[in-house]
Amino acid sequence: MSTRIVEELLAERRCTAGDLIEVLQDLQEAEGYISEGSMAEISERLEIPLIEVSRVAHFYEAFSLEPQGRHLITVCMGTACHVRGAPRMLDEVSGQLGIEPGETTEDGLFTMVRVNCLGACALGPVVVVDGVYHDHMSPGKLRKLIQSIRREDQRAAGKHTDA
Amino acid sequence: MLKYITLTLDGAAVRVPEGTTVLDAALEYGVCIPHLCHVPGLTPIGACRLCIVELVENGRGRVTTSCTLAARDGMIILTNTEKIQKLRRNVAELLVAEAPNSKAIQDIAARCGVTEVRYPFHHESCVLCGRCVRVCSEMWQADALGFLGRGRERHVGFPFGTKPDFCKNCNTCIDICPMTITPCAGPMNVGEEYLCGRCASQLSMAENVSDSCVYCELGKGFGCIRQEALP
Amino acid sequence: MPRIQGLQDLEALRQRLLGSSAKQKQTLVLCCGTGCQASGCGKVLTAFRREIERRGMADQLSIRVTGCHGFCEQGPLAVLEPSGIFYCHLKPEDVPEIVAETVRSGRVVERLLYVDPASGERIQREAAIPFYRRQERILLDQNRRISPTSLDDYLAAGGYTALASVLGERSPEEVIEEIRASGLRGRGGGGFPTGRKWAACRAAPGEPKYVICNADEGDPGAYMDRSLLEGNPFAVIEGMTIGAYAIGARKGYIYVRNEYPLALAHAEKAVRCSEQAGLLGSGILGTDLDFSIRIARGAGAFVAGESTALMAAIEGRVSEPRPKDVHTVEDGLWNRPTNLNNVETWANVPHIINRGAAWFASKGSEHSKGTKIFALTGRVQNTGLVEVPMGTTLRQIVYDIGGGANNGSAVKAVQTGGPSGGCLPVERFDLPVDFETLAEAGSMVGSGGMVVMDERTCMVDVARYFLEFLQDESCGKCVPCRVGIGRMLEIVTAICQGKGEPKHLDLLEELAETVAETSLCALGKTAPNPVISTLRYFRDEYEAHIREKRCPAGVCRALITYRIDPERCTGCGACLKACPHGAVSGEKKELHAIDAETCTRCGICAEVCRFEAVVLE
Repeated sequence: MSTRIVEELLAERRCTAGDLIEVLQDLQEAEGYISEGSMAEISERLEIPLIEVSRVAHFYEAFSLEPQGRHLITVCMGTACHVRGAPRMLDEVSGQLGIEPGETTEDGLFTMVRVNCLGACALGPVVVVDGVYHDHMSPGKLRKLIQSIRREDQRAAGKHTDA
Repeated sequence: MLKYITLTLDGAAVRVPEGTTVLDAALEYGVCIPHLCHVPGLTPIGACRLCIVELVENGRGRVTTSCTLAARDGMIILTNTEKIQKLRRNVAELLVAEAPNSKAIQDIAARCGVTEVRYPFHHESCVLCGRCVRVCSEMWQADALGFLGRGRERHVGFPFGTKPDFCKNCNTCIDICPMTITPCAGPMNVGEEYLCGRCASQLSMAENVSDSCVYCELGKGFGCIRQEALP
Repeated sequence: MPRIQGLQDLEALRQRLLGSSAKQKQTLVLCCGTGCQASGCGKVLTAFRREIERRGMADQLSIRVTGCHGFCEQGPLAVLEPSGIFYCHLKPEDVPEIVAETVRSGRVVERLLYVDPASGERIQREAAIPFYRRQERILLDQNRRISPTSLDDYLAAGGYTALASVLGERSPEEVIEEIRASGLRGRGGGGFPTGRKWAACRAAPGEPKYVICNADEGDPGAYMDRSLLEGNPFAVIEGMTIGAYAIGARKGYIYVRNEYPLALAHAEKAVRCSEQAGLLGSGILGTDLDFSIRIARGAGAFVAGESTALMAAIEGRVSEPRPKDVHTVEDGLWNRPTNLNNVETWANVPHIINRGAAWFASKGSEHSKGTKIFALTGRVQNTGLVEVPMGTTLRQIVYDIGGGANNGSAVKAVQTGGPSGGCLPVERFDLPVDFETLAEAGSMVGSGGMVVMDERTCMVDVARYFLEFLQDESCGKCVPCRVGIGRMLEIVTAICQGKGEPKHLDLLEELAETVAETSLCALGKTAPNPVISTLRYFRDEYEAHIREKRCPAGVCRALITYRIDPERCTGCGACLKACPHGAVSGEKKELHAIDAETCTRCGICAEVCRFEAVVLE
């Protein structure tokens, strides 16, 4: 599966070593993570030592080496958000979902990551869920949001099994 | 034809081919600047920061690593000022607090004047000097292992956690590692660590530099055997 | 957009655009920067579009969707032109009333007006709002006049006048001299004289040469570059093109942080637009200037903002800095001469060319010329982007423009320069903000982040926060940064947990000196600044943590406890529901209690209690 996606990605561009980060970014968007198979494929096609590919995949925050949950919760931990209580968002998520930053829930529903500044500092604390920015977040609002996503997901799952 | 340049090392004029690093120039001339991540013949990375010297520019000394500094004509270098001694000692202290169980690191620390360690010991088995990574990549062109992760997570590893089949099994990574060189067998139980400074390790510069020793000021500072042997 | 053939063609196009925009029409300027998007401007925009269609008013009211205005906490916000009426905190439901009352009949909707916190007055016009009025918005002003991805708007607003004058009339050396004479210094934090950098790059041997725009903006709390790139990407492109001409570079990169998707999108669109119009590519404006720009996307690493690390990232490698004994103007991207400048630095270039070095140098202080954009955030009334001449005092920024503390408590300090900077106490607020003055005081201008802190901020915790940030973001190559920051963090954490000893402070200072002197790159070299500045100005807080095991601000979790006051508790159960760790127990309508063992001191219970029954000790 990874091989096909990597093929498609590489077909669209010049395949030089300098394109490694871009290729990995596209792969992350397409598959949600960077698999070992993909790394091996990219190493061969771009003629970069495998350890270098692995190194880049490990170094940057944007890349996940494990499959991520269906819903991504990104908590901003920048200075402005921090002084407005961003650490409490982490408490809320760890309490509600039992995961720490970088982890995924066992049911594969949620992944939470921290990010070091989204640039929406006047509106902190900021939490991004599935690409949607939420401003002036509080632990209570985050709890409600998580619950509503869970309900939505269950409803969708119910429809699926009904059909 | 090699082009030669002259730089001043602790007041002495020293003539080396253009492109030589300040560290190589110093070692060549018998001034044993302490170092850990430097391996002759491999690309210097300036990671351990032990080889720091003061580069005098516009009357002021700028602290920089000698292994990455290409010697230029007219350069003025001071290898062993009080400031450098203090900074070097503090860096060595940080290193030995990470890996107290390595003879080589203990040796370096003792030679750099570390007498007490003010941090709780972490018992790391790797100091991330990168010797293994560079020797695998540059000498053997195998690229079987490398640095992975960032910051505190940085570690040396194989691409996917296990030794790849293109590893040449040369074992040079093990031979060159400062940690695997005869780990200290002394009484280093947790909570009972101390710095005895009595080991002679393979990394000791005094052994590597055979006949060109100039009995430099540096040697006095870090307890070089040759200095001690002087009448 | 057809290709612009040459300088005369450009001028003709500009005149046509100016002529066409002088219709009798009102314009609703709606801010759609990242901040306002977070507060819901998307729905407001849809509401306006629907209302205009419903009423068939397309010929009377046009909408201009702009980038960030820098007054984010008031968003979603809109300004009506030409009257200048300013509405804030908009909701989709407000739209019909705005159109009916203000657009059609010129009547102001009072409840949507901005309320000045100082006077309590409602202010009608944008130009009268003290927050804006007291700034000198040379760079930011354009953001509200143009739609970011419209080259037409940019041209109509005077864009590309600078490039045209340069290509028509000045040699590269003259351009460099103009920039040098202006006194422009790098706006990313380094403060290096820009003219000198350009000259060195031009003189360096090697081909091809590169110019880079550093839009990584890693400092948390800083979003000036986001606002500029999102809101006015063409200005950055124009600046880079002028720079490329002056230096002799043929290729350029804009390296944008991964966490700024809108800035990335707008930059990409602006580059494509410029290429189509012949403002990028070969033979720009009919001259022999060839210059193309590629957008490079960051992958999430603060250290990538360091110039050598950024170049490594563009080359597809890990963003690890290298020693700068040889500067990047000589040996940079792919070992070629490379000139890297910050977004704001590039954005200043067209203004300097258009209005002259003397104009720029007439603003600011003796060694720091021009204006600087600051991101004023934290515990202050008016958070947002503040553009003022260098040399403006902290007091003027925090109080006159920022409106002082919010929520009643007093301002204690301001943190400037991000993780490389320091904290300055309120007693030093008469310091003029410029490169030398702040550095001498133990902080730095940095990229422009300014976080206001009050009595509820623990300065030891602030030091700990920055050390944790830097430890996470350090590339890990060199010992003083990787290990040294780790050890400093160990010590400060111990202090925050009540395990500090007096000798720790001396050790902290000595370790800080070692890390600052021996680290390989600026991340490590400046890492000790938050610790050193807080030790310098707030030593009493450290002492309290160490000697009394007390956190004066009530922040350090190990040194505080929460308990429920039996006099005030109504047994409503809000705290029980809110506690993420299940540490609260109690029956309905009866006194609730917190289990000290399970409690993590997160403070969520105190936040939700409506009766102030959760007490912090």
